[in-house]
Amino acid sequence: MKWSVLGWRLASFAVAAGLITLWQFAADQRLISPVFLPGPDRAWASLMRGFTSGDLLTKLAGTLTHMAYGWLLASIVGVALGAMIGSSKTMRAYVAPTLELLRPLPVSAIIPVAIAALGLSQGMALAVIAFGSLWPMLLGTIHGFAAVEPRLYEVARVLHMSRLAVIFKIALPSAAPDILAGMRLSLTVALILAVVCEMLAGLDGLGQWVLLSARSFRSADLFAGVMLLGVIGYVTALAMDAAESRLLRWQAARR
Amino acid sequence: MAEPALALVQSSPSPARAQIAFDNVALTLGGKAIIDTISLEVAAGEILCVVGASGCGKTTALRLAAGLYQPTGGSVRFEGEPMRAPRREIAVVFQDYGKALLPWRTAAGNISLALETIGMRAHQREARAAELLAKVGLAGHAAKYPTEMSGGMQQRLQIARCLAQDPKVLLMDEPFGALDAMTRQGLQDEMLALVASTGATVVFVTHDLEEAIYLGDRVVGLLPHPGRVGLELTIDLPRPRDQLATREQPEFLRLRRALFDFIKASE
Ligand SMILES: Nc1ncnc2c1ncn2[C@@H]1O[C@H](COP(=O)(O)OP(=O)(O)O)[C@@H](O)[C@H]1O
Ligand SMILES: [Mg+2]
Repeated sequence: MKWSVLGWRLASFAVAAGLITLWQFAADQRLISPVFLPGPDRAWASLMRGFTSGDLLTKLAGTLTHMAYGWLLASIVGVALGAMIGSSKTMRAYVAPTLELLRPLPVSAIIPVAIAALGLSQGMALAVIAFGSLWPMLLGTIHGFAAVEPRLYEVARVLHMSRLAVIFKIALPSAAPDILAGMRLSLTVALILAVVCEMLAGLDGLGQWVLLSARSFRSADLFAGVMLLGVIGYVTALAMDAAESRLLRWQAARR
Repeated sequence: MAEPALALVQSSPSPARAQIAFDNVALTLGGKAIIDTISLEVAAGEILCVVGASGCGKTTALRLAAGLYQPTGGSVRFEGEPMRAPRREIAVVFQDYGKALLPWRTAAGNISLALETIGMRAHQREARAAELLAKVGLAGHAAKYPTEMSGGMQQRLQIARCLAQDPKVLLMDEPFGALDAMTRQGLQDEMLALVASTGATVVFVTHDLEEAIYLGDRVVGLLPHPGRVGLELTIDLPRPRDQLATREQPEFLRLRRALFDFIKASE
């Protein structure tokens, strides 16, 4: 068991190393013009330069902040609203058709609306990121709350549990797998929208860095930014994994 | 049929001692008369078993006794007071233990749920949960999740959680119905011992006629469409009961025959 995990780790490292080698080869052979494709060596150098000068760190912090605020706001609103809608059959009946209509709406479509209303501001970015990442969480929470085993509510009645206790000891833990799955999806959406908003509104962040680097043909800087975005996506997903396996330990027991 | 009816008249608990009383209870759900009408008294400390064909209203009657349903006619009383809602003194062992336990809580955590609602302090809860687990033969399984346990263990756990309520009454809906014969007999004896030690009143629904006679002080047979009492038998078999000796007694066989004929005729 342990060994096979280690084996897979090694294999995935080997694949990554192979891809980087291929990238270096392509750059060295000038298969693609260096104006567009820097080698990994140059991208890495640019990354280090950005870190030591602090420029890139500021941008990284900017993107992380945008992402975190939007995602947290969406989490609070999504879980609270989802709990309300999901735990009531009548609410579900009234609200579900509207949600089905709004859900497939591409969030990029509301960006112009948000810009018109809020300007090219941090507030606009917050609104767009939160709105976009709200959906997976809202729908996940609604589903989770709607799917709570009715027998458990009877157990709660027989035990005389308070309304608050029912929410926190029965409904929330029961809906946790769906909520966490929604949160995971939202994390990706939040990152994408943070980058888009930074590009459009010129807010301090990796999106802006990438856009400006591209415009001035600084391909090494561009790649350094893109690599950093990849790392953010990867690390936040890992953190989510850790949170899930901690919170949903009981599901591991089931399998 | 005349004989058991006579026995009933002799042993019928006086209204003063009745812990649970059904007084001309009727229940209509979705325009359909499910129960019409049941009058029945359960004495404190009594073990009353309820049998009847599938769909005759056994579960519904139990839910009325639990306060999970309100009757549309007549009244259900607990110690003389009308039942308006479930009460802590009345614990319910549900048939589907897999659904009644919290899968995200360990065995100890599931028991703790009941202890939390009675306001017990955290450090006391742990000791009490361990004590209750030991009582139902689950000592050493405190940290297991329900999904890591067999059906028999899960039902034991549900019973332990009910005992955590310190109930005066245990309402059990075919609690051993889904278990294999050996596990079932073991649990029957454990339940009898537990009940004897706590003095709780038990209403036990089952479709297993022998189980009803083996466990009960009295057996009530329900007739279907709508649910109503069709037969009451007083079980005068000596206690403690024994899986082999009790089941071989002529009286046991006679009661089994009477119940069997009743169910046959009711279908
Ligand atoms: N909530 C309900 N609404 C309408 N009919 C119901 C409901 N619950 C049970 N019934 C009906 O009442 C009858 C008795 O059900 P139940 O008490 O579960 O029977 P038993 O436990 O004896 O098998 C059945 O015919 C069933 O279909
Ligand atoms: Mg039933």
